[in-house]
Amino acid sequence: MTNHMNHTFHMVNQSPWPLIGAMGAMITLTGTIKWFHQYEQTLMSIGMITMIMTTIQWWRDITREGTYQGLHTSKVTKGLRWGMILFITSEVFFFVSFFWAFFHSSLSPTNELGSMWPPTGIQVFNPLQIPLLNTAILLSSGVTITWAHHSILENNYNQGLQGLFMTVILGLYFTALQAYEYMESPFTIADSVYGATFFVATGFHGLHVIIGTTFLITCLMRHLTLHFSSNHHMGFEAAAWYWHFVDVVWLFLYISIYWWGS
Amino acid sequence: MVSICKRIALHSSRRNTVYLCVRLANTFMDPKELVTGLEKRELLNEEAGKDPDPYGLAIKRGPGTKDKPTLVSSAFDSRIIGCVCDDESSHINWMWLHKGNSTRCECGFWFKLVEKPPL
Repeated sequence: MTNHMNHTFHMVNQSPWPLIGAMGAMITLTGTIKWFHQYEQTLMSIGMITMIMTTIQWWRDITREGTYQGLHTSKVTKGLRWGMILFITSEVFFFVSFFWAFFHSSLSPTNELGSMWPPTGIQVFNPLQIPLLNTAILLSSGVTITWAHHSILENNYNQGLQGLFMTVILGLYFTALQAYEYMESPFTIADSVYGATFFVATGFHGLHVIIGTTFLITCLMRHLTLHFSSNHHMGFEAAAWYWHFVDVVWLFLYISIYWWGS
Repeated sequence: MVSICKRIALHSSRRNTVYLCVRLANTFMDPKELVTGLEKRELLNEEAGKDPDPYGLAIKRGPGTKDKPTLVSSAFDSRIIGCVCDDESSHINWMWLHKGNSTRCECGFWFKLVEKPPL
């Protein structure tokens, strides 16, 4: 089918995933509200499963189109790159809104908070303990992913594998430490605007770390099945961009919420 | 995850020496071997020093009269074209071109679809 046309654009086939994905998103939304009101998780679980199955199969299809059918020409890849750039830009603004909320509340704390930040009665995390370790972990993971990238560019399979594997391990370690810190936290999301801004910002960041780790694990599995070469690894590059974005967001979180905010 | 760890551990430990054939199966192949289809054609064209895009989608307009319409090639029965009516024009006039009769742009230029087998 590749050669039945006279241009290098990718005319995509019909696919069920946009429709099924949209239904999954709507079911998840409805199910989550049902859970909040009726303490009943079935509908939300159905929605989540639908979404997960959709994403797995949608990206499986894209992998097949790119790697096995050769449909990702330079023009198509350029489009994919721009898509990823615009997506990450929108994510940046998503996080800007949380920082806006944080600085709005912390730069001139209201009387109700005791006119101080952190608010009266809030016991905050020591920024020099686990948060500092987490900073080191994410910065190191930035190094290992660059190592993996350069290995792939230089056709070094083994070091590409090792660099990618180390990055995934560091990502999982970060998530584990954040989970531990959430469990140990002396304040909750319901403890004043401090708890609200802290958990919304770090929670969404944690979610993004989990998504980024999943993206990297996908790349690791594709690497193991020899999907990449020195000039065919756009999926890996997108994962690397995403990972750097997550890394930079953490630096801002660490500096403003954990450090300055304490 | 366990199986990935196992494979990576196995993989790193058997590097270089013992399982030569396994090692060959587990390293990168030549980028040219990995790619296929259009992507491969693009790569080969680039290597041969040719324009990586073999199709040349931009078509230079000829006289464009009714008798001598500008010929636009397509592998399909119809194609969307954009006419830049004059050099000063700041927009492109998009229209469908169908197999058979010539089509006239609002500005007066004529176009005709000619069949060109897919490359």
